[in-house]
Amino acid sequence: MKEIRFVQAINEALEEELSRDEKVYIIGEDVQAGTFGVSTGLVHKFGPERIMDTPLSETVIAGAAVGSAMTGYRPVAEFMFADFMYVAGDEIFAKAAKWRFIHGGTVELPLVFMASMGGYAKLGAEHSQSPESMFMHTPGLKLVVPSTPYDAKGLMKSAIRDNNPVVYLFHKRLLGLKGEIPEEEYVVPLGQADIKREGTDVTVVATGMMVQFALKVAEELKEKVSVEVIDPRTLEPLDIDTIIESVKKTGRAIVVDEDTKRCGVASEIMAQIMELAFDYLDAPIQRIAAANYPIPGGFMEDYVLPQTKDIKAAIEAIAD
Amino acid sequence: MKLKNDDLIFMYKTMVRTRKLDEITIKGLQEGKVLAFYHSSQGSEALAVGAASFLRPDDYLWAHHRGHGIGYILAKGGSGRDFLAEHYGKATGSCLGVSGFHFADPENGALGAAGTIGSVFPMSLGWGLAAKKHGRQQVTIACFGDGGSNRGTLHEAFNLSSVWKLPIVWICDNNGMAQYTPITDAYAKDDIADLATGYDIPAVVVDGMDIIAVHEAVQAAVEKARAGEGPSMIEAKTKRFREHSIGSPDVVHNQPRTDEEIAEMKKLDPIITFKAKLLEQGVLTKADVEKINNDAEAEMAEMDQFCVDSQIPDPSILNTLVYAE
Repeated sequence: MKEIRFVQAINEALEEELSRDEKVYIIGEDVQAGTFGVSTGLVHKFGPERIMDTPLSETVIAGAAVGSAMTGYRPVAEFMFADFMYVAGDEIFAKAAKWRFIHGGTVELPLVFMASMGGYAKLGAEHSQSPESMFMHTPGLKLVVPSTPYDAKGLMKSAIRDNNPVVYLFHKRLLGLKGEIPEEEYVVPLGQADIKREGTDVTVVATGMMVQFALKVAEELKEKVSVEVIDPRTLEPLDIDTIIESVKKTGRAIVVDEDTKRCGVASEIMAQIMELAFDYLDAPIQRIAAANYPIPGGFMEDYVLPQTKDIKAAIEAIAD
Repeated sequence: MKLKNDDLIFMYKTMVRTRKLDEITIKGLQEGKVLAFYHSSQGSEALAVGAASFLRPDDYLWAHHRGHGIGYILAKGGSGRDFLAEHYGKATGSCLGVSGFHFADPENGALGAAGTIGSVFPMSLGWGLAAKKHGRQQVTIACFGDGGSNRGTLHEAFNLSSVWKLPIVWICDNNGMAQYTPITDAYAKDDIADLATGYDIPAVVVDGMDIIAVHEAVQAAVEKARAGEGPSMIEAKTKRFREHSIGSPDVVHNQPRTDEEIAEMKKLDPIITFKAKLLEQGVLTKADVEKINNDAEAEMAEMDQFCVDSQIPDPSILNTLVYAE
């Protein structure tokens, strides 16, 4: 095992897959320098033809990825901030997501759309969003939201090898997080949840940064409540079985989601728990998510995004 | 490439088949066999067939949405029967009856068709990038209309196709109308080709009713693209004989187009003028013309029957199409 930061984990995954398959290439704004460091340095080994810098042209970044994927390439398109993916809405939501389906399976779209997500950096409304629900909502897209360096690397490798469009969102505040990964090669399959902490009283389902929040709170409360933290790791495909199994054991569930509360990821996971495990619930499911506002900048951000104290209060209340 | 008599006859036949397929699709819509809508290509056959004839099968094609691409598809070697069956919603359609009116035939370079106008730009840029990366001298033929040229995506794709010297031939079918809005109210200049030259993409304006003029311009651009000299643009001035979408009002804003106006346009019918030319040159006889017409009609009747007789798709296929293994 070796200790590695989240950002290096992604970089290693990209490097390994670029070496493994010459059809893999990266395209985006300033990917050679690497705005967040995830693709930094790769151009030295793979050259500018495979680490392609583009101007500010999100529709073309997405279109280039989708178009070239149809002809046998495996592009990783980088959007810097997930917020900027909205600019390429048609290419992502209509072309990448639908084109295999509407063309009767005659084409395949093996590509990754990669971007930073999330808040807690006070970057304001257009650099802080967690748009998972929009991608999870759209049939045809897969969605990866890693919470640890181990998962970040293993999931990126699976995302690149997958024959479908995969949206891969890394939390900008997790990039410095350290964690252990094996020296040897490994992958983390899409669609397999991970129990980040075992417990018996309350199930907390979370992804990305919220997993780290939940683990912190679970540790703080360990004398009072035994919290099980489940990280689905991929929201499509969603490993609902692991979540349901946990809920059947604990009888109590809280879903934590950095995305906006209304029609968010938490809403969907709650609904599925209701459909599949209603008889096992000892209390109403709780949902901790961002308030139904745009994400403000400055000090106001703290009043909109979910905080550890909110998770703590919810666990204490439901376990009571 | 110098066109031989056989080539000219192929082009004429393909225009006739395009018109007949257009007519049977309209009839199918009126009879309830075509399930969605249909945007007739009558008036732009010379552009479609002139542009897409004698390309390589592995050249990528983004057909113009008029006629849902039929002229381009037939010229490039695609199947009219697969096209019609798709419109009839049948499992024998090019997309297994799931799209309803899109067409895909990857073997012939037709990788798909879109519902959003202007998505041609980023997607074709991707095909052009792939063509360059493959290094096999493929080209991408990317067609859009005067309406599509109003999209901002044009800027991003024109710009990068020029910067990266991609093998793309941008083709604009400028029929002067975007649904009900005339180009004069949507674009400040006379020629859309001027947009390309702004990005250092060489561009020409041709008479889109003249199949030979179109073909020569496109082939010159294709040869440049194959030689690694980057993108070109061709603007073809065409006419739209029918309303935007069959059954919709035929208006300019809210004013009906007049019968006289349409009749005047139809004097330029590219099939009639090309036929006259080939008869005059002795490439075709009157008997040949009649046979081509009869063969096309027989082909369409057979296609129609095949599509009527085909099964609708089994709904179990839906679950197999969303995600690949």
